[in-house]
Amino acid sequence: CKSSFEKLRASNDVAKKYQEALRLYNKRDYSKALVLFEDLSQKYRGRAEAEDLNYYYAYTLYRLSDYTTARYQFKSFADTYPASKNAEEARYMGAYCFYLESPAFSLDQENTYKAIDALQLFINLYPTSDRAAAAGKYIADLRGKLEDKAFENAKMYLTTGPSNVDNYRAAVIALKNAQRDYPDIKYAEEMDFLMIKAQYLYAKNSYVIRQEDRYNEAIELYTEFTENHPDSKFAKDAKQLKADAEVGIVTTKEELALYAADQEKYKQMLIRTGKLKDTLSTKPTNADNTNIKN
Amino acid sequence: PATPSLKVGGLDLDYFSPKEYIIGGTTVTGTQYLDKDVLITLSKLTKGDKVVLPGEATSDAIKTLWAQGLFDDVKINIEKFVQDSVYFEIEVVERPRLTSIDLKGISKSQRTAIQEKLNDKTGKIVNDNLYNTTSAIIKKYMLEKGYFFTKIDYKTRKDENAENSVVLETYIDKGARVKVQHIDFTGNTEFKSAKLRKYLKSPKQFTWWRFYGSGKFVKDKYEENKVKMIAKMQDKGYLDASILKDTIYQYNKKKVNIRIDLYEGKKYYVGSVTWAGNAIYPDSILNKVLTIERGQIYSEEKLNKKLNGGGENGGDINSLYTDNGYLTFNIDPVKTIRGDTVDVELRIGEGPQFTNNRITLKGNTITNDKVVLREIRTKPGQKFNKSDLIRTIREIGQLGNFDESKTVPTPRPNPADGTVDIEYAVEEKPSDQIELSGGFGGGRIIGTLGLTFNNFSLRNLFNLKAYKPLPKGDGQKLSLRGQTNGKYYQSYSFSFSQPWFGGEKPVSFGVSAFTSLQSNGLSNGDAGFQKIRLNGVTVSLGRRLNWPDNYFQLSHAVNLQQYILNNYAGYLFSTGTSYNLNLSQEISRDSRDSPIFPKSGSYLRFTIQATPPYSLFNKVNYATASDKDKYRFTEYHKWKFDSQWYQRVAGNLVIKAQAQFGFLGQYNKAVGQSAFERFKLGGDGMQGFDFLQGSELIAMRGYANNTVIPVGSDPTVAQQSGSPIYTKYVLEARYPVIASQQATAFVLAFAEGGNTWNKFSDFNPFNIRRSVGVGARIFLPIFGLLGIDYGYGFDAIPGLPDSNKGQFHFSIAQQLGGF
Repeated sequence: CKSSFEKLRASNDVAKKYQEALRLYNKRDYSKALVLFEDLSQKYRGRAEAEDLNYYYAYTLYRLSDYTTARYQFKSFADTYPASKNAEEARYMGAYCFYLESPAFSLDQENTYKAIDALQLFINLYPTSDRAAAAGKYIADLRGKLEDKAFENAKMYLTTGPSNVDNYRAAVIALKNAQRDYPDIKYAEEMDFLMIKAQYLYAKNSYVIRQEDRYNEAIELYTEFTENHPDSKFAKDAKQLKADAEVGIVTTKEELALYAADQEKYKQMLIRTGKLKDTLSTKPTNADNTNIKN
Repeated sequence: PATPSLKVGGLDLDYFSPKEYIIGGTTVTGTQYLDKDVLITLSKLTKGDKVVLPGEATSDAIKTLWAQGLFDDVKINIEKFVQDSVYFEIEVVERPRLTSIDLKGISKSQRTAIQEKLNDKTGKIVNDNLYNTTSAIIKKYMLEKGYFFTKIDYKTRKDENAENSVVLETYIDKGARVKVQHIDFTGNTEFKSAKLRKYLKSPKQFTWWRFYGSGKFVKDKYEENKVKMIAKMQDKGYLDASILKDTIYQYNKKKVNIRIDLYEGKKYYVGSVTWAGNAIYPDSILNKVLTIERGQIYSEEKLNKKLNGGGENGGDINSLYTDNGYLTFNIDPVKTIRGDTVDVELRIGEGPQFTNNRITLKGNTITNDKVVLREIRTKPGQKFNKSDLIRTIREIGQLGNFDESKTVPTPRPNPADGTVDIEYAVEEKPSDQIELSGGFGGGRIIGTLGLTFNNFSLRNLFNLKAYKPLPKGDGQKLSLRGQTNGKYYQSYSFSFSQPWFGGEKPVSFGVSAFTSLQSNGLSNGDAGFQKIRLNGVTVSLGRRLNWPDNYFQLSHAVNLQQYILNNYAGYLFSTGTSYNLNLSQEISRDSRDSPIFPKSGSYLRFTIQATPPYSLFNKVNYATASDKDKYRFTEYHKWKFDSQWYQRVAGNLVIKAQAQFGFLGQYNKAVGQSAFERFKLGGDGMQGFDFLQGSELIAMRGYANNTVIPVGSDPTVAQQSGSPIYTKYVLEARYPVIASQQATAFVLAFAEGGNTWNKFSDFNPFNIRRSVGVGARIFLPIFGLLGIDYGYGFDAIPGLPDSNKGQFHFSIAQQLGGF
């Protein structure tokens, strides 16, 4: 035996179906309401009731958290009935559905970009609307999410530095790029500090012959940092890194001097024993070349 | 077709004295669906017009009407003359129109292809002409597909949906595809005909022994292969080689012969090889890579291979540049021919050296950025490197969460600052597996539920928002499995692993635990109660090595197991508790190109597992001690080695060769062999419900489970305890049947040999039990790997008459035969 709902669903009494759909919607029985709205949206095409029907249909989908279909229906409502009193609301809701579909920052942000575009479009269309302020806030939210992503992904290279020295260099570049892409990024201060740290670790884990230049770059980053953030909470740690870099330069110079002295000693020995002519000694030895990497 | 006839009362008009009349009226007869007035207008025999009879007007009218293609017959009759006026009667026979052609007796794809060619036939009338042209089109198409003797039959059917319309039912009898008896060549002196047939590949000429690729003649494939054959000849230096003429003629009803007249031309040699435009690499280095020198036979194929390579191994000019940042590098070989010599000038456009800048990921809707980004080998600040890019695609695939064929890197160079942004587009695929089965074993129903989540996120375990339907996206692996048949057997296990433990380095961390119980089903207090309970926990750490090469892995694990026996027969002791604490080390090298159906590469594994040598310091006198003391702490050392090699031999046919060896040793003779951790060889290698954990099951097809026991041993004892030494060899030919994202399936044929020994002094790796057989595997993303094999064991096992000969084996979710 069919329930009364099933009977109504199978029937052709559109007026009764419409009344029932509205009743179900107001009763918050959205999944049943949806069944009827879907059916009716075909039958009411081109009739006066279609406007309200479309509006409720979109809201039903929204209430059922089917934001993908809901935003499509809201948009189609706003496009079809631009003069409707609900047009503004529908356009706003369409953009808001995009906002709801924006995933965590650690996932693909395609929907975030779309949401920003849709919300921006709403603000452009209804700059004086009460909803414009909310839309603006959502845009800020979404931009914040993109900043989070840029920051975390750049920091990831620093975190994974121990697995590969090149990751430290990658971290410096990625942090710089993130600042270029988001000039007013909220993490600017921390990022500037992390850049010093990454550059310092890069220098420290490089071959001796490369270290001096790379330490110097870390010191340069420190100088910029103190100029840009005179009262930073990272000031102490940054200063420590700078000091460590300076020690590093001294150490690497000593090591290189020792190495050069060893080479000289070895050369002298070779000359003494007659195995090497003095004139050849200006040529770089193989030992130097092996250190070129990194 | 009707001829125009003008008759009045049976008399022909006088053609020698035409006369002008006025048209008094025109009527139409014989129409069924067509409008009469339209036909009169078309005929131009309009009332009031002047007409000369006999004359052109009437014949023109017939031509015009006939041209409509709507009639089977058109006649113009003179009804009567009244003074100067003439009255015409147009008599037509209407024909039904064709709405569609229904093709029967051929495959769907053939139908679509033919329909496309027949499209303009609809709307016409059905007559002999239509039959003839339709037949010609179908026959021509079928001929291209190798069907030389197509027969076609027609039937018309009224179309219910349209007036005066018919559907043409076309019955196509394809007949047999034509085969090729002989392929002969003329004009060839340097190339033997047999060689050329090989170059041609298909069609193959008839041989009585061929089972596959039976030499069917397919026209368009033949045309394609002719071009390839010439290309092969050119690669051997015969640049001018060409086909002068080829003839296909009938041999008998089912076979044709092919004769190809060739022009071989002369053989060309490499002349000078010069470079232009190279600033980064000197000629000497480029020549070393190119390895094409003056005097060699000129081969276009070799030249292309050395210039642009293919594959990630490098060894070509393109890789030399693109692996060192020269992303926009291009090379243009300019050839000049002098006599039989080809001079090659290689013009290089080096372009700028690019440095990786932004590395981004797209399409990860479930997996978090860092899980993928940390695996990417192209890092900001490094010189662009194409080989790294290609290896990254493979490694993203190995994560198991993405469809490997849809991982697409897009480098976007910015020539202004010499940087390149690389975007990796990925597509998520389902990676979770479920094992749900009910079976019948040992007279009872046994149920299994297993779940494996390959992209788990532990940190989101308490974050309800992240449940979709489980917390996902951190690339961790979680498995849960339970199996029980009630009182007799219960087994529960859990494992979790994290690929980047601590997040800094690719060090994997794993923890797993299990508990299982087997009993005779009596209650705990019963005097006859027998049981064995096993509890175990394992913690492991693994890391990838960069030396000797970066395919190596090293892992360490600590295992603790507890065995509780209660009146349990078949072990060295029947009641008591034993502990097994061991440390294992494993070094492995995995260069297989795919985990499910490897086509190349190898997998080597060497494992040592050892317990502390308790007997050295626990002061137990093993000669007099009770079982309880003697076996409280199990001691042993165990060595295992496995090597698997995969090699593609022809097409997609892959050969797998595998050798395994295992040895369980003792520290102290007085203690004796460990009761646990022995090997049991034979059968499917599956952990069935009747399996006593505490030993290691090794599959060997063609023999029943756990029946390959040492020669000369007592079957009851040996089957229960297992053996301390085993070896096994497998040679397997595999051929893929399905290779898609939804499923991978392959068939295989194998030959195996293996045996077990009780003492190292008896060990002889060549004294093995042998078997051969066939099988199939299917991998479904949600169920894992399912397999069935039929093996035939040649060697009878004394005391176990049913253990060899024909055996069926089923396997689930594991590679059959591994340890």
